[in-house]
Amino acid sequence: MIQTIGLETYISSLRSHLGPITIGDREEIVREIAAYIRDSVEQSGLSLKSVLERLGPPDELAAQYRDGLLIRRASRSISPLLLLRASLRLATKGLSGIVVFFAAIIGYAMGGGFVLSAFAKCFFPGHTGVWIRDGELISSGTQFEVPSPPAHDIAGWWYVPAALVIGSLLILLTSFVIRKALRVSHMLQAKLGLLRSTESVS
Amino acid sequence: MAALASLWNGRLYGLEIIRFLENQSQLILAEGTIYPILNRLRAEGLLASEWVEAEAGHPRKYYSLTDPGRQRLHEMAEAWASFAGGLTRLLGPVLNHSRTIRSTEDKQEVQP
Repeated sequence: MIQTIGLETYISSLRSHLGPITIGDREEIVREIAAYIRDSVEQSGLSLKSVLERLGPPDELAAQYRDGLLIRRASRSISPLLLLRASLRLATKGLSGIVVFFAAIIGYAMGGGFVLSAFAKCFFPGHTGVWIRDGELISSGTQFEVPSPPAHDIAGWWYVPAALVIGSLLILLTSFVIRKALRVSHMLQAKLGLLRSTESVS
Repeated sequence: MAALASLWNGRLYGLEIIRFLENQSQLILAEGTIYPILNRLRAEGLLASEWVEAEAGHPRKYYSLTDPGRQRLHEMAEAWASFAGGLTRLLGPVLNHSRTIRSTEDKQEVQP
């Protein structure tokens, strides 16, 4: 497809794929890429087709800018939704990204589970707690079937603050780990970009 | 790191950075890779950019290192030098062996 489209079509397509980026930044990117294309054609004597091929499809180029923005925003955020979105994007880039994504899912699910069970204790106090029998942990959390005596709940109403603290800490820890992974991924992406470009030349 | 290092001696625009890296370090960067990287480094405050009108032709976006960019480059260069030094020591015996073999082969070629 790229062989048949001209500069204006390429730039127009790039602009449309830069969607979530602010208008000012979008126009800045488009202006710079257009300047690069003109420079390359004028200075290196390459055909427009060759220059556009070296740049890659406009949607893929735009995706790199969008990913950079998403990962940059997420690496400074504590919003689980934004961090999950960024880790999902990272998961498309390799095995380490997949590991980070599943770690995020597990971490948030466990943290969210503790917080929800703290609220559940308020509505179903007899079904939420930490049950032990003969000194051994039998069950914890919110249960449909409460363990029968001699098993008994040892947490009582202390379950609420304890579950809230543990759940919040798990969510914070998960967010911290994802943010760290996203910052490292910036460097990894740069390295991968170098490797890809070297492979394509060799 | 390579993109930051290319700007150590002064400002350059995108195509100049690509050519500088090719000529100085044989690093061949895909154009579709370098521009998003420059954009990210600028957003992180490591690079500054300005549009400069050319005497002939069209305006170009020049990049230069900011103070935090220089500081980061110092740290990266030191970390890289430490890593490369360790690797060079590790490969020292291998390289010495290769030189010895080449030297022996050269002598055999000289002697009829």
